[in-house]
Amino acid sequence: MRTLERVNPHHRFSKKNMIEISNLSKSYGRHKAVDQISFEVTRGEIVGFLGPNGAGKSTTLKMLTGFLPPTSGAARIAGKDIFRESLEVRKKIGYMPENVPLYIDMRVKEYLRFRGGLHGLSGGRLRKRMGEVMETCGLTQVRRKMIKTLSKGYRQRVGLADALIHEPDLLILDEPTNGLDPNQIRAIRRLIKNLGEKHTILISTHILSEVEMTCNKVVIIDEGKIKAADTPENLVNSMRRAGRVTVELQAPKPEVEESISQIEEVTRVVGESLLDGWNRFTVFAAPKTDTRLKLGRLVAQKNWSLRSLSRQIGTLEEVFIELTRKD
Amino acid sequence: MRIFRILYLKELKTYFLSPFGWLILCFSSLMQGFALTATLKEFTDNAVAESLVSVVFNSPIFNIYFMFLFPVLTMRLFSEENRSGTIEGLLTAPVRTWQVVLSKFSAAYTTFLTLWIAAGVHFYLFTALTDVPPPFTNGELIGAFLIIALIGMLFISYGCLASALTSSQIIAGVVCTFILIFHMFLGLIPKFFGEQIPAAGFFNFISSPRHLVDFTRGLINTGTIGYYITTAVFFLFLTFHILDFRRWKP
Ligand SMILES: Nc1ncnc2c1ncn2[C@@H]1O[C@H](COP(=O)(O)OP(=O)(O)OP(=O)(O)O)[C@@H](O)[C@H]1O
Ligand SMILES: [Mg+2]
Repeated sequence: MRTLERVNPHHRFSKKNMIEISNLSKSYGRHKAVDQISFEVTRGEIVGFLGPNGAGKSTTLKMLTGFLPPTSGAARIAGKDIFRESLEVRKKIGYMPENVPLYIDMRVKEYLRFRGGLHGLSGGRLRKRMGEVMETCGLTQVRRKMIKTLSKGYRQRVGLADALIHEPDLLILDEPTNGLDPNQIRAIRRLIKNLGEKHTILISTHILSEVEMTCNKVVIIDEGKIKAADTPENLVNSMRRAGRVTVELQAPKPEVEESISQIEEVTRVVGESLLDGWNRFTVFAAPKTDTRLKLGRLVAQKNWSLRSLSRQIGTLEEVFIELTRKD
Repeated sequence: MRIFRILYLKELKTYFLSPFGWLILCFSSLMQGFALTATLKEFTDNAVAESLVSVVFNSPIFNIYFMFLFPVLTMRLFSEENRSGTIEGLLTAPVRTWQVVLSKFSAAYTTFLTLWIAAGVHFYLFTALTDVPPPFTNGELIGAFLIIALIGMLFISYGCLASALTSSQIIAGVVCTFILIFHMFLGLIPKFFGEQIPAAGFFNFISSPRHLVDFTRGLINTGTIGYYITTAVFFLFLTFHILDFRRWKP
């Protein structure tokens, strides 16, 4: 487990943290959906919450928003206990549940007015906020439409507008771009990035490229347990495969393997013969190292013919698969 | 209070800004008309000792459509929120669970009460448009509407509970109907088993058919009023706990 920031359950709340989760668990009957997870989210961060289907993401978010009580453990949002001070916590959160349930018989404007009212807005301020969120979420055109006549993407926007209406300190979004077309995904991604300047955002998603682009931190959960919590860069760099270099040479395999193995950081060399008479060598090295320079020098020194030398850059997708693969 | 008002108005809108509420209103006015006409016919055909109010509110037609109103009025309340998942947005907003329960109950109850405007108008028209002395007194009329308001309060709280238990409107309606039938059955036990059984006094005390007879004769009993109010509060309290169960369920 690579949880960098472990939470001490007894330490005092620090002003810096928006979310503090310590040993939070949730069981459905005998099934442990969330198992003793702990992590923190600092104010102003955009955090991607990742994991395979059934990992316990939605369950965790439901606990944070006070919809489901935890079986054990505790969590604080802006210093308030999610269970004992639920009402206070709910005031601070803008939540967009999975699948975006809405009152489909309402019109967009009417729905937002209702939801804003529940969050304590009224009068001119409510009207102003409704205008603003409809503007940000691109709903102005459809404000008079019945929600049941809207397409999925537009409903998704209504859900987002709902989450934003009371200018919450913390936004919790459960798969906000699920089912959107590429244009809308981009629009929402841009929106989230903009919102990130003022809000703290915890976002669960399966679109990893999106996380790479928007999030400053990634938390990966699998089978109810935290597998990693770090910045995307650190995760990618600390991957097993990161730093792997492939070289294509025309030289006798055993000799090359022998020489490359001499390089300090190299852990393993695998050579294979290609059909055109060249040999390809895959050089495995310790994490966070770059062996390209040394390899280049070696090749020059030995006078081997070289046609390619490249270092594989890991992606978040590879990190995800490495951490959550079942085998 | 503001939150309650917002929730209440939203619920009320779902009754009256859709054909749903108007259909019930139409149906019940029609049935009230039937009950009155049928009773008037009985009055012209043969001499009846009872007052018009008493006979109308104890007629078979009344008993059938009255029982029908409650599942229809309440089955949607919570089950639809459970089914569509909107309950999640509702209960993660800064609202208290009792505000949710009370607002839904109040909206259903308000709708229920408006159904009786038509019946009131019928009786008013009778005195206004005919020159025969009305075959009922004001006391009987007040008693009748009072007991309907009380029984309605209790039965709607049954409906709220049934609806909170499930995410299917149909099941909510069926459960509500079963509770109503069971309630009516309890009240009729002394009729089936005889007035001499030891518990007859208790069953008579909670017997809605009996209350209907008494109140429509102008016999208003404060014990009965207390019984309906406390029982309705109890069932709303149960509903509150069903909803709040998520919160303290381990
Ligand atoms: N109401 C419930 N009753 C019983 N088990 C449940 C319930 N809700 C979720 N689970 C189980 O808990 C586990 C975690 O579910 P959860 O919805 O949190 O997953 P998720 O990470 O959000 O998955 P996805 O990516 O598919 O949305 C799953 O194994 C699921 O079957
Ligand atoms: Mg989910």
